[in-house]
Amino acid sequence: MAKLVTLTIDGITVQVPPGTNVVDAAKKAGIDIPVFCYHPKMEPVGMCRMCLVEIGRPVVDRATGELVRADDGSVKIQFSPKLETACTTPVSEGMVVINTSQKVKDGREDILEFLLTSHPLDCPVCDKGGECPLQNLTMEFGSGQSRYIYDEKMHSAKHVPLGDLIYLDRERCIQCARCVRFQDQIVDDPVIGFYNRGRALEIVTYSEPGFDSIFSGNTTDICPVGALTTADFRFGARPWELNAAASICTQCPVGCNLTINVRREAISQGRMAIKRIMPRQNEWVNEIWICDKGRFGYHYVESEERLDQPLVRKDGKLTPVSWDEAINLVSMRFKQAGSNLLTLVSGRLSNEDLYNIRKLTDSLNGKSALYTQMGGGDVVAQVGMSTGSNLANLGKGDVILVIATDLHQEAPIWWLRVKQATERGAQLIVANARSTRLDRYAKYPIRYAYGEQNNLIAALVQLIDPQKFVDAKAIKHLSEQSIIKDTAEALKAAQNLVIFFGNEGSGVADSQVLAQTCAILLATTNHAGKPNNGLIPVWQRANDQGAWDMGWRPPTDLSTSIKEANALYIVACDPAGDDPRLSLTPDFLVVQDLYLTPTAKLADVVLPALPFTEREGSLTSGERRVQRYYPAIPGRTGALADFAIAAQIAKACGITLEERSAAKVMDAIARENADYAAISYTELANVEEQWPIIGRADLYYGGTSYENKQGLGMQLQNAVQKGEPFQISLPELVEQSGEGLLAVPITRLYDRGNTLIPSQLLRTHLVSTVMWINAKEAKQQGVEEHDVVQIECGETSALVTVELEDAVPDGVVLVPRSVGIPISEPCRVRLHITERV
Amino acid sequence: MNTLLEKYTDEVQTILAKYPPDQKRSALMPLLYLAQREYGYISKQAMNEIGEILDITATEVASVVGFYTLYHDQPAGKYRIQVCTDLPCALRGSEEFLKQLCENLGIQPGETTADGLVTVEEVTCLAACDRSPVFQVQTPDGLVYHENQSVENAMKLIRTWQSKP
Repeated sequence: MAKLVTLTIDGITVQVPPGTNVVDAAKKAGIDIPVFCYHPKMEPVGMCRMCLVEIGRPVVDRATGELVRADDGSVKIQFSPKLETACTTPVSEGMVVINTSQKVKDGREDILEFLLTSHPLDCPVCDKGGECPLQNLTMEFGSGQSRYIYDEKMHSAKHVPLGDLIYLDRERCIQCARCVRFQDQIVDDPVIGFYNRGRALEIVTYSEPGFDSIFSGNTTDICPVGALTTADFRFGARPWELNAAASICTQCPVGCNLTINVRREAISQGRMAIKRIMPRQNEWVNEIWICDKGRFGYHYVESEERLDQPLVRKDGKLTPVSWDEAINLVSMRFKQAGSNLLTLVSGRLSNEDLYNIRKLTDSLNGKSALYTQMGGGDVVAQVGMSTGSNLANLGKGDVILVIATDLHQEAPIWWLRVKQATERGAQLIVANARSTRLDRYAKYPIRYAYGEQNNLIAALVQLIDPQKFVDAKAIKHLSEQSIIKDTAEALKAAQNLVIFFGNEGSGVADSQVLAQTCAILLATTNHAGKPNNGLIPVWQRANDQGAWDMGWRPPTDLSTSIKEANALYIVACDPAGDDPRLSLTPDFLVVQDLYLTPTAKLADVVLPALPFTEREGSLTSGERRVQRYYPAIPGRTGALADFAIAAQIAKACGITLEERSAAKVMDAIARENADYAAISYTELANVEEQWPIIGRADLYYGGTSYENKQGLGMQLQNAVQKGEPFQISLPELVEQSGEGLLAVPITRLYDRGNTLIPSQLLRTHLVSTVMWINAKEAKQQGVEEHDVVQIECGETSALVTVELEDAVPDGVVLVPRSVGIPISEPCRVRLHITERV
Repeated sequence: MNTLLEKYTDEVQTILAKYPPDQKRSALMPLLYLAQREYGYISKQAMNEIGEILDITATEVASVVGFYTLYHDQPAGKYRIQVCTDLPCALRGSEEFLKQLCENLGIQPGETTADGLVTVEEVTCLAACDRSPVFQVQTPDGLVYHENQSVENAMKLIRTWQSKP
């Protein structure tokens, strides 16, 4: 570790690493230097001048190089004649910083007077009022009176939609460029910028369609004034009316930490209502950022369509009944079905729900199945991210391999953190059949044909260890490519290796094999079971990993399993909505969900569940970090948490399951599941001080994201780390085969899932029922852009609109998942034009 | 379709060749001059096209247009006369010069003549205080300085433009 630099700030001695700036050094010593433009996650620019301090440096005799000393032996300090900006000044040995003198206060007063010359006095109607750095610092340092002539104030537009999610108030902007720099430096999507100079400077976008970035909401958190506000929260509430609850985002397997702001309000009929979702700091997971899907896609939990009482089919109609009646009926029929009961769940559920429902099903000798399009969770349990891993630790000498996934669309914060790792020097390998947004940071962008992903990894393994996959014909043409040879060399030299794998171009079985080959690659390069190494599955849902850990597995053939079952218990998934042709006609169908989904409409009994905002629970992220969420608002009367419903059914069947609290269910999990032995709700609530220190009274430093006081979660130990033997054998490799046009489902961030549609705000962003094809292939197939075509896959088909996209490989069409196109795995298709515009 | 690239393929390539391929965004300013020469100002479409050529966003292109005063984002006359009225120039009569010039043309500072030929603008400091009244003209062929001007001189110059085909 580099030698620390010692300096004094307001008489306090501080030791920090060289290169630290004075603002951060002071922060570490508990001294706040006010800032507007500086943000600890971005490079300093010194634009706002608020951080002016007096800085003195030891006088050095130029001839001897010795420090000059006063008569009393103390080192002589030379102060600069003018104030300096603390954010752009790196610390130096012996530096003396004065943050509290009259000169400093006068300087700040003057800066504030300048900033306020044209700032409107509309704090009473400003969304930022109450949590505004400018307001707070004006109270602390401002003069209270302006000498500026009121009539010469500049007036600018006050409601400028930069996009449909973010509004700009030009008068309030103090030109700190935090938003512009965030979009440029942090998320590399520079779609907002400065226009003009001086007092005429303004934030603009000339991009089409405007400020359309999946991270745009974060700019409103770091905006030090009320210039940027979200279309979701603006004019919605005052910050001091809001209560805060800790939560975890359920949109993807990253597990971003959230704070949910709520208040009780008249416009919501006196109920507690969610007003906004904010990021909560977890430097292990999401730092202080979240994506816009997490921020704006929560409205489904408040939907009026939500179910609030059990329904039972009577005379062909779903009729409201009491919980007792519904539970009695369900338990009786489940007991009768016995081993002919099939329970189908999804990774939308918490660990506690998944555990209880599994226990119930097992006790009745029923079969259980996980509704998913991806495999490999058991492999992740063996070689997933090891305890103590943080993507932020990856840098020079480390390698990240991303295969068969588009992280920007599937798990935005992972995309961000991988990008940042490459900026610290990590080498990135991006392997996919098409180009994705991550390619621009990749040292080794690798293309293969859909279906070859397993063979590609096998080829890399073979190049590193010639003893493995000997004579495998399927990989020969891959291992001969020079980029793949170079990639193998890079993997060999890696200090740490993290592999992200997804299911683009694979079905459940194929992605299971991909997980295995990736695990073998980790083991072959000797990276399994070490911190900052491991396999990260890019699941479709937030808690798919937890589902695997709780023993759930995808069925070999879902439709056959469904056909064989007498009684079906479907929880938190909508197979009929995803594939309308799926035959869901068992003797007895129970659906447990938030709404009357297409599946629920077919049910004999519908049981209303509570969403994550109204109950407790825990989720296991793709990095195998278990994190707990807290109730943000009281549960709507009539609905129950999924684990509690399962426990009630169990009770009626004569089986005892924990139903009192999620914490007690977790205790049961810990007793039974060795991986979770160390987990308890108390442990999950542990916190430690994180850097940068944000979310305290000094909102000007980090923005309005929240400090984490409710728990950082715990990363599970994987099997290899625990010393268990590595149990993954080499899979059989198959050569790419099949003729005809291949349709591949891909995941888009803004899909048309049941949990996204109710968010009105995102409506224009949602992907529609389209099919992407490249121009050459379109010509070959005889289709044109905007054609409506019937896409036929075996017995199922759907109508889609043709969109041309260069990145799609030849012989392939891409279709979005979760928009109602019943193609969940790659399949050969035929196209029939039905309409030409 | 990128009209700028199609019409000026060679010129764009010559400009791009001056910069390292991995830093082609450096070619932004010469391309903006090219676009301004073509259209008389930098239209939104031109920003998009330049962004496409350089692999940067239209917003990044716009930021540069907005920062520099010699790039214009609004259409104006074929000739832009920019008169300096800073303090030293004002002492040498540039304000009166501007006023009379505009009266002669029948427009206000910032406006364009009805035939679309001349726009008169007020600017600050053209670095020729001792030779004021001074103005610069942005023409389709480039930037021309005119020093020690009188209104008669200026009007003579404008008449030569009017007589050009």
